Amino acid sequence: MDRAYQPQKIELEVQAAWKEKRAFKVTEDPDREKFYCLSMFPYPSGKLHIGHVRNYTIGDVIARYQRLQGRNVLQPMGWDAFGLPAENAAIENRVAPAKWTYQNIDYMRTQLQRLGFAYDWGREIATCRPEYYRWEQWFFTELYRKGLVYKKTAPVNWDPVDQTVLANEQVIDGRGWRSGAVVERKEIPQWFLKITDYSEELLEELDNLDGWPDSVRTMQRNWIGRSEGVEIDFPIAGGPEKLTVFTTRPDTLFGVSYMAVAFEHPVAVAAAQRRADIAAFVQKYSSAGTSEAELEAMEKEGIPLDIHVTHPFTGEALPVWVANFILMGYGTGAVMGVPGHDSRDWEFATKHELPIRPVIRPADGAVINLDEGAYVQKGILENSGEFDGRTSEQAFAAIADRLEGTGMGRRKVNYRLRDWGISRQRYWGCPIPVITDEGGGSAPLPAHELPVV
Amino acid sequence: MDDFLYAPHPETGLPSRRETDTFDTFFESSWYFARFCCTDNHNAMLDERADHWLPVDQYVGGIEHAVLHLLYSRFFQKLMRDLGLTCHGEPFKNLLTQGMVVAETFYREEGGRRTYYNFKELEFERDDKGRIIAARLSSDKLPVTIGKREKMSKSKNNGIDPQDIIDKYGADTVRLFIMFAAPPDQSLEWSDSGIEGAYRFLKRLWKYARNNCRAAPADATAYTGEQRDARRKIHQTIVKVNDDIGRRYTFNTAIAAVMELLNVLSRMNGQSANAAAVRREGLEVMVLLLSPIIPHITDAIWRAMGKETALIDAGWPQADEDALVEDELQLVVQVNGKKRAQIFAAPDASEESIKSDALGNENVKRHISGKTVAKVIIVPQRLVNIVVHG
Repeated sequence: MDRAYQPQKIELEVQAAWKEKRAFKVTEDPDREKFYCLSMFPYPSGKLHIGHVRNYTIGDVIARYQRLQGRNVLQPMGWDAFGLPAENAAIENRVAPAKWTYQNIDYMRTQLQRLGFAYDWGREIATCRPEYYRWEQWFFTELYRKGLVYKKTAPVNWDPVDQTVLANEQVIDGRGWRSGAVVERKEIPQWFLKITDYSEELLEELDNLDGWPDSVRTMQRNWIGRSEGVEIDFPIAGGPEKLTVFTTRPDTLFGVSYMAVAFEHPVAVAAAQRRADIAAFVQKYSSAGTSEAELEAMEKEGIPLDIHVTHPFTGEALPVWVANFILMGYGTGAVMGVPGHDSRDWEFATKHELPIRPVIRPADGAVINLDEGAYVQKGILENSGEFDGRTSEQAFAAIADRLEGTGMGRRKVNYRLRDWGISRQRYWGCPIPVITDEGGGSAPLPAHELPVV
Repeated sequence: MDDFLYAPHPETGLPSRRETDTFDTFFESSWYFARFCCTDNHNAMLDERADHWLPVDQYVGGIEHAVLHLLYSRFFQKLMRDLGLTCHGEPFKNLLTQGMVVAETFYREEGGRRTYYNFKELEFERDDKGRIIAARLSSDKLPVTIGKREKMSKSKNNGIDPQDIIDKYGADTVRLFIMFAAPPDQSLEWSDSGIEGAYRFLKRLWKYARNNCRAAPADATAYTGEQRDARRKIHQTIVKVNDDIGRRYTFNTAIAAVMELLNVLSRMNGQSANAAAVRREGLEVMVLLLSPIIPHITDAIWRAMGKETALIDAGWPQADEDALVEDELQLVVQVNGKKRAQIFAAPDASEESIKSDALGNENVKRHISGKTVAKVIIVPQRLVNIVVHG
């Protein structure tokens, strides 16, 4: 042994020996327990940052520990190589996104090797290579055939700086997550994956993921957002149509004093065609973002339409408004306004001088003052006809039964999760393998035409 | 470009236009973990090897992906299952979300705007524990404000380039510091003194290895008490590290235990063959226990020890049950407060057996013969006092 500890010398020698012996190459072995250890692969931004080094050191220590325990360890590494920074770099440095990306990969690979991570480099993936993404193109066409993909014109979050559509998750406090620009609402045709078909399974199986931190499971549960409620039909006065809403609080049904719909709801669209003032209102407010935080914080604007609906129990005529804080993508795009017992509705009703009716009182007999704000807790029903005196829970069941009996409503489970809009108006990404003919008919490309590069 | 954009519709033959939009990049990361199982298959997206390797046994990454990437990946796994591509419905069995790396921030405020300065632009005054108590900008020698510890970021200008540290100290120092400074799921506070501490430990380990890597095997029948103590410490360390890593992934406490072991072994005296052998046994255990964390230096030491099997395949050390047994304790026996004998007892010996051993000692018998034993007081692990009358 040398007298002095010389890390640079030792480390390069040891790494060369690992490389020569392919020490971390792995194949399936039925005689040994397998252990698949994976760290989240990086975006090839240019060089490793300290967060990468921590992430990959932890993963590598676990992989090496498991190997010493006798397990057959797979630890691969790759590159999440498509994305906006390559396009930005192309503009700034006049270098093609592909070239920039591959240069970064080459440099960052030497950094990972210099850290001595025990990767099976024979399995390296760069997602920008056609031999990788051809399979997701094929996968997309298979999902298309199974009916799990659809195209629709939908309001999206439009980032006016990056000129792209953002997922809801990419909108932070009403601004684009990368550009920081105030997000606008815009209608364009988009492809969607039906993740909502899997809401229930995605939620239920979280219970079995004992090896996940509770915090992450809770975040996913909240994101999926299962709620049990009732769908209620309000007949539109003077016609056969109905306005359908979803509510988790049917016990507050007697407190409804108005209805509110999203800009894109058919009754709002029809009204905007009839009335210039409604069209102007929609035009004026449709640039706002659609994140929940944004909806919560925004000034609650609205304008009454020229239609009314009939309360299913009392027969009262209720005005229908169009409002900027209702989203077409959530539930039915219409809500029943219960200002006494919902904070958003209270804000809206106070601003627009709509009636605020108390129909729930605290079970403990406390006195509430609806002039100061909504009472949003559950309690005992009042001013609710034959349902007076019941608890919110009892009333939920009784009112749902009654609505189902008369055919004016039905119990329903609703999810907050919405379908995943996967279209991006970007160059440096995997082309969507679809062709559209003159008539507007779209079809997936056949397998022999893949990959589309 | 026109050739790309326009083509006949595959079914209707009508003139058609290709889609120019691309997928959300979360599409790519929603299935890469499955593709890793069979990257050489150019005829199919996945094959039976995905069934073999999936689910990922340990996934490690940032909490910022809690909803997006991790939910989409679960969704894709179910889609792949339902298309018959794999039998598994969940992609990740265990998930570890590592904590942030935080560091001090330094700034000046002018007109409500903060300008942040990087470590490289600053000079520091430190207390005797190496903590920064004042900072000046190198260029103008005027003070800057020390801000909160925050996540390393461009906007706070408090990042360090890991490559600089690797170039200066080597990969093992970086790895050791990262694993020692905090448990994986907690925030890690970056500190120069922590890096230097890690480097110093590796130098000490190297020096210890140079002195002890070539010792011959021990004669196990002739260990001294000190050697038995050292061996007990070695094997207790294996037990402790197994628990820390195997059960809780708290590598930091495991490393601390090995550091303590190195201290004990470095202080161990004796030039005898057995003393050298015990020090070498300790070296072998330390090398194996630390090899996942500092794989290079341990590999070099392992080879210097003349080992044939590669360190990465050497297997985890097993604690020697015999070495773990505590030696018998020495107890002083007093009669009416005066020392009359020494006896030995196992650490778990009952009071009854200690009492009878004490009363049965020849010298004690002489001092109590003809007298009445009033009581026997046992101070655990230290002494036995026999009170007699007459």
